[in-house]
Amino acid sequence: MFNPAANLKVDRRDGKLAMAHFYVAFTALAIGGLAGLLQTLVRSGKFELPAGIGYYQILTVHGVVLGLVLTTFFIMGFQLAATSKTSGTFTKKQRITGWVGFWLMTAGTVLAATMILLNEATVLYTFYAPLQAHALYYIGLTLVIVGSWVDGAAIIMKYAEWRRKNPGQPSPLLTFMSLVNTMMWIVATIGVASTVLFQLLPWSLGIVETVNIGVSRTLFWYFGHPLVYFWLLPAYMAWYVVIPKVIGGKIFSDSLARMSFILFLLFSIPVGFHHQLMEPGIDPAWKFLQVILTFLVVIPSLMTAFSLFATFESFGRAKGATGLFGWLKKLPWGDARFVVPFIGMVTFIPAGAGGIVNASHQMNQVVHNTIWVTGHFHLTVATSVVLTFFGVSYWLIPHLTGRKLTKAMNKLGIIQAVIWSIGMTFMSGAMHAAGLLGAPRRSSYSEYGGAAQAAEWIPYQVAQAIGGSILFLGIILMLYIFINLAFFAPKGEQEFPVGEAADEAEKAPMVFENWKLWLGITFVLILFAYTIPFIDLIQNAPPGAKGYKLW
Amino acid sequence: MAKTELSRKTKTEIEDSSSLKGTLASVFLLGFFLVITWIGVYLLFVSRF
Ligand code: HEM
Ligand SMILES: [Cu+2]
Repeated sequence: MFNPAANLKVDRRDGKLAMAHFYVAFTALAIGGLAGLLQTLVRSGKFELPAGIGYYQILTVHGVVLGLVLTTFFIMGFQLAATSKTSGTFTKKQRITGWVGFWLMTAGTVLAATMILLNEATVLYTFYAPLQAHALYYIGLTLVIVGSWVDGAAIIMKYAEWRRKNPGQPSPLLTFMSLVNTMMWIVATIGVASTVLFQLLPWSLGIVETVNIGVSRTLFWYFGHPLVYFWLLPAYMAWYVVIPKVIGGKIFSDSLARMSFILFLLFSIPVGFHHQLMEPGIDPAWKFLQVILTFLVVIPSLMTAFSLFATFESFGRAKGATGLFGWLKKLPWGDARFVVPFIGMVTFIPAGAGGIVNASHQMNQVVHNTIWVTGHFHLTVATSVVLTFFGVSYWLIPHLTGRKLTKAMNKLGIIQAVIWSIGMTFMSGAMHAAGLLGAPRRSSYSEYGGAAQAAEWIPYQVAQAIGGSILFLGIILMLYIFINLAFFAPKGEQEFPVGEAADEAEKAPMVFENWKLWLGITFVLILFAYTIPFIDLIQNAPPGAKGYKLW
Repeated sequence: MAKTELSRKTKTEIEDSSSLKGTLASVFLLGFFLVITWIGVYLLFVSRF
C-alpha cells in the first residue's frame, strides 16, 4: 500500500529523541549486568560482597535497572523511531512531548537509583509491602511511569494525525503495533500507579499507619503481567515486520499480525492472579477464571509462531528449497540482523513451555518462588526480548546516527548472541533444574544449617555462576558494539527494514482500528475478572500492615 | 526390455513452491514440545502433592 507519509529515513531530530532513550537503556545494561554477575558469584558460595553491601541491594539494582529501566527506555525509543519512520516525522509539538516524557523518565530513574544506592530502598523491583522504601523511591518510579505516558502520548498524537489525513485507511503496521502496546501499557500502569499513589506513598510518608497488603499486591500484578507483554510486543514487531524484510521475504499476513496484537491487548491484563495462585484472600474460582484467560494468550502466541514459520518457509521455497525443512538452509545465517533475533525466537519455545507450567494453577506449587521462575524470565525477557532488541540495535542505531554496520561488527554481533546463548543455557538451565529441586529465588548464599536438600542445590549454583560470567562477557561485547555504532562506525546509510505483506492487495479490515470496541472489551474483561475479588479483598481484609525495613 | 520399462514408474517430484508442509510439521513439533514439558512437570506434581 502506498503511504506517502512514510519516510525512507527517520528524521534526524526524531532520531536524536530515540537515541536519547537508547543511551539510558545501554547504561542500564552495563550497571545491571554487573549486578547480575555479582549475584551469581555470591550465590555460588565462593565470593562475598565487599564493604558490607547486602545481596538484596544488588538484586534491587539488577531488577529495577534491567527489568524496568532498560526495557522501558529501549521500547519507547524503538516505538518512537518506528512511528516516525512509518507515519512520518513528528510535528514540533509531538517531538517536544516525546522529550518531556524522556526527561521525566530519566529524572525518575535517577531519583529511584539514588535511593537504592543510598540503601534506602532495598525492596526489590516489585516493592511488595510490607517492605517499606523511602518515599523518594516511590516518587522516582512514579515519574518513570508518568514519563512513559507522556512519551506514549507522542505516539498516540502521531497516530491520530495519520488517521485524520488518511480517512478509511488502516494505519501503517508498525505504527499500529506501537499504538496497541502503548495503550496496553497505559491501561496496565493505572494499577501500579494506584497502589503507589494511594497506598505506598502515603504510608511511607507516615500519613497513614498501615496498608492493605492483598490489595496492594493485586494492583501490582494487575500491572505485572501486562508488563511482560509490554516487553514482548516490541520484539514481536521486529519478528513480524522487520525480519521478513531483512531476509528478503514477505510478511505472511498483515491482518493476522494485527489480530494477534489485538488479542494480546484483550487477554494480557485480566490475568494477574496467575502470579498470586499461592496467595490467600482470593477465591480459587476467580483464580481459575484468570487461569483460563491466561491460557487464551496461547492463541496469539501460536498464531505468531505459525506466521513466522510460514514467512521463513515461503521465502525458502521461493528460493528453490525442497523437502520438509530445506527452507531452513536458505535463511541468511551470516546476517546479525536476522540471526540474533532468530535465536531470540527459538528461545521463546522453552520460555513459553515454562510459562504454561507456571500458569497451570495447582502445578504452580511445584515452581512458585523457586529459582525456576528466575530461569524462566531470563529466557523470556533476558534472552528472547533482549537478543531481539540487540538485533534491532544493529541496524537502528547506525540508521539513526548516519553510520553503517560494518562486516566486523556484524560478525561480532553474531558472536555476541552465541556467547549469550551459551551463558544463558548454563545459567537458566541450572536455575530451572535447581528450582525443580526446591531452591528458592531471591536468596543469598546459605547452607540452611547443613540441610541435605540445600546441599543438592550448590552444584547448580556454581553452574549459574559459570553461566553468569559468560553472560557478563556478552554484555561487555554488546556495549562495545553499541559504542561503535553510536560514535565510531563509518558514516553511511543503514536501511530501516520494514516488510511488506505477501498479499499487498489485501487491505486490513478497518474494525482493527476501532478503539472504542477494543478498549471497551478490554475494560469489560478487566471489570469481570477483578471487581468481585477486589470487593472481597477490601471487605474481608485482615488488619493492615505497618512498614518494615529488614535490610 | 519393454516389459520392465513399462513397469518402472517415473517418479516426477512436483513440489509446490507455495507448500507450507514444513510449517505444519514445525508447529506440530512445537506443540509436542509444549505437551511433553507440561506432562513432565505434571508427573512431578502428582508425585509430590
Ligand atoms: C549478565 C547477565 C545476567 C545475569 C548474570 C543475571 C543474573 C540474575 C540472577 C542470579 C538473578 C536472581 C537472583 C535471585 O533471585 O536471588 C536475577 C534476577 C533478575 N534478573 Fe537477571 N541476570 C542477567 C541479565 C538480566 C537481564 C538482561 C534482565 C532483563 C532484561 C534481567 C532481569 C532480571 C530480573 C527482573 C530479576 C528479578 C529480580 C528479583 O527477583 O527481584 N536479568 N538475574
Ligand atoms: Cu504473568
